[in-house]
Amino acid sequence: MSEEKTEKKEEWKPRLVAYVCNWCTYGGADLAGTSRLTYDTSVRAIKLPCTGRIDPLFIIKAFERGADGVLISGCHPGDCHYNTGNYHARRRWTTFRSLLDFSGIDMRRLHFSWISAAEAGKWVEVINEVSTNLKELGPYKEFKAITEKKEEYDRVFAQ
Amino acid sequence: MSVNQLSEDAFYNLIDDLNSKGTTVVAPVRNEVGMVQYEKVTSSKDNFAFDEVIGRYSPKDAFFPQHETVLRYREGENGVEVKAEEPEINDTVLLGIRPCDAAAMISLNKVFTWDYIDNLFTERRKKAVIISIACNEADESCYCTSVGFAPDGKEGSDLLFSKIKGGGYLAEALTDEGETFIANNSTCFSKKDKSVELEPIAEVTDLGVNIEHIKRWLDKKENFEHKVWDDLAAKCVGCGGCTFVCPTCHCFDLVDEPYGDQGKRVKNWDGCQFDHFTLHASGHNPREHQPQRWRNRFHCKFKIYPDRFEKKGCVGCGRCIRVCPVNLDITEAMIEITAMES
Amino acid sequence: MIESLRSKSKELLENGTVSLVIGYAEGSKKGKTKPFFAYSSEDCDKLTFSPQCVNNLTIYLTRKFTFMKKGKVAIVAKGCDVKTINVLIQENQLKRDDVIILGMSCDGVVGKDIVHDGEQLPDENKSIKCLTCDVKTPIDYDHLFGEEIKSEALEPMTGGIYDAVKEVKAMSWSDRWKYWMDHFERCIKCYACKKVCPLCYCDVCITEKSRPQWIETSAHARGNYAWNIKRAMDLAGRCTFCGECDRSCPAEIPLNIINQELAMTVYDSFENYTAGYQTDVTPPFVSFKEEDKEDFIK
Repeated sequence: MSEEKTEKKEEWKPRLVAYVCNWCTYGGADLAGTSRLTYDTSVRAIKLPCTGRIDPLFIIKAFERGADGVLISGCHPGDCHYNTGNYHARRRWTTFRSLLDFSGIDMRRLHFSWISAAEAGKWVEVINEVSTNLKELGPYKEFKAITEKKEEYDRVFAQ
Repeated sequence: MSVNQLSEDAFYNLIDDLNSKGTTVVAPVRNEVGMVQYEKVTSSKDNFAFDEVIGRYSPKDAFFPQHETVLRYREGENGVEVKAEEPEINDTVLLGIRPCDAAAMISLNKVFTWDYIDNLFTERRKKAVIISIACNEADESCYCTSVGFAPDGKEGSDLLFSKIKGGGYLAEALTDEGETFIANNSTCFSKKDKSVELEPIAEVTDLGVNIEHIKRWLDKKENFEHKVWDDLAAKCVGCGGCTFVCPTCHCFDLVDEPYGDQGKRVKNWDGCQFDHFTLHASGHNPREHQPQRWRNRFHCKFKIYPDRFEKKGCVGCGRCIRVCPVNLDITEAMIEITAMES
Repeated sequence: MIESLRSKSKELLENGTVSLVIGYAEGSKKGKTKPFFAYSSEDCDKLTFSPQCVNNLTIYLTRKFTFMKKGKVAIVAKGCDVKTINVLIQENQLKRDDVIILGMSCDGVVGKDIVHDGEQLPDENKSIKCLTCDVKTPIDYDHLFGEEIKSEALEPMTGGIYDAVKEVKAMSWSDRWKYWMDHFERCIKCYACKKVCPLCYCDVCITEKSRPQWIETSAHARGNYAWNIKRAMDLAGRCTFCGECDRSCPAEIPLNIINQELAMTVYDSFENYTAGYQTDVTPPFVSFKEEDKEDFIK
């Protein structure tokens, strides 16, 4: 019985949604790939033009759709392809992060980083660190309690 | 039909008895923020509010929930599989709703059995017993008597309870279902005591309106664009408060909630006061301004309901007046229109 | 005060300065007033002012209500309402010259669901926003009615609602989650909160966007959470704490608490910015500083 449980636990993989900007972090992730660096496969990267494009609702949507953690990453201050997108985004996150914290989101599941197109190593590091943390935390059961479960459908259709 | 009596203790025992039989009991309870709502109760120890004038929301969601799944779909090997939702519908007792809300259930029933039989509604209604408690108190917003109902009205209820002086209720069966209910729970009921004296029934403000005259006025085509609509409703902010708390408002919207390769189609309340309620795909909106939307609500209550369903659309519960953030009072319109027509 | 308000309104309408005076009239029920539009001198006799005048009438200045306005208008505004006017001007929704502010000095209005008759209003019957009010005499007006009331110097972001915010903040995250879920669960998606807000003036709301459906229309926990958070976020750095959303909510969700948490964050993070006091500063979310704090970014 206990063996079965541990086996199941190992199977479980967190779902980490990473919203990344096209010009820096996506480039960094690309470089990690072409450099044959390996990193945790629990990440799903979603490319956006700029961190300024990341609407607060994206974060909520990710959690709604079953994400166990969300990472948001873009160019270092001063490096934005559009000059100021990341500065505006930073102000928005400061506020939104505080709002999510206030509303009771587990802040260990929401991460922000600056990763440039040259920082393949940092991308690998951040993804591995966040994924390891998420594995320790387990599924985000508080938010999952208000979302649909695949099993629910399977049960209905099995009838 | 029989008239019985039940003591205060028996009344609460009834709640426990019904629960132990597996019947769902819905009753007015005061929640943690002080609002009275009609909710499923599980024990006679719940925080009941049977003496509250009326609950904040109408009890219509016992039969017509704000949000319910109609069907589920998923992409299977042979295309899209669809499965209609068949919710388990339990025997339900609506205990302690007000006579106006019970009367509203007749009107609702008419809508949901009009050209299409809405099984989700009708099945729930069939499996439910409505027990209303006559009002001993009314507030300033109540106006049931002005639209042809009464604080001890019998329409729509299976049983009417009236409060006895000193405690307990007189239980009057109004339908066969009501009789059966008394027979099935006979331990809680006793024969009516001859000397029984009832608490006085609430006095409800008479607005001095005539709904026939209102209807007649609304029937005249020239009044459709009357100035009165702008005068009254220009201040309306267009929230859905009035429609969502109304016991006879019944509009709903069907939307899909996809989730990857599966999803559900859900039925959600909608309200005619929302600006996108009548918005066409072309971008045209036949009810472009808020007063036109409010006119629709008024028409729905006093013209469309009587014309199409031969029922009253407004039962005078006064909830729309209580929740309105800008004090847009439907009775002001009723009074003004009556005055214009008489 | 009421007499001079009426005569001034008449004067403005008669000499053609304005075509409409937006004010308050006696409501249909005891202890209630209602928004009222005076188009003629006779209408002006119905204008009134009392602690029961809770509505923030500036909503009628927004583009949600353009259909009823003709040219310049006058508006009866309390100190808190004038703050909203300032934000509308700051956001280019309104020109100062297009509105005549009939400023009312106000010592507080009644709280939600409180029926209060008479002039003197004890603190316990006041709306929570009035307990930390520092604009009892409006900061901007064309004509002032009533005696000027000196607002006491207050420690910013303390007392009243801010204490309630701190109480919630002191909980653990899982308790906060439960606290808000219990509240949001009651939401019936009537959208009174957005409809009554003078600063929610978008032509098309995100709730109406269905490709994809950003905010689910269902009033279930998931849809309600997304809606309430999104609404609050869109008012960050803009909300002037008029409290209309909280007052209008039929489900008694403490929206003031969530709005003011954001106000506190903006105050702490962006150089003590508070919305509604100046019209000539750039709002915090359309500007930035290179040295903005970023201690949460890896």
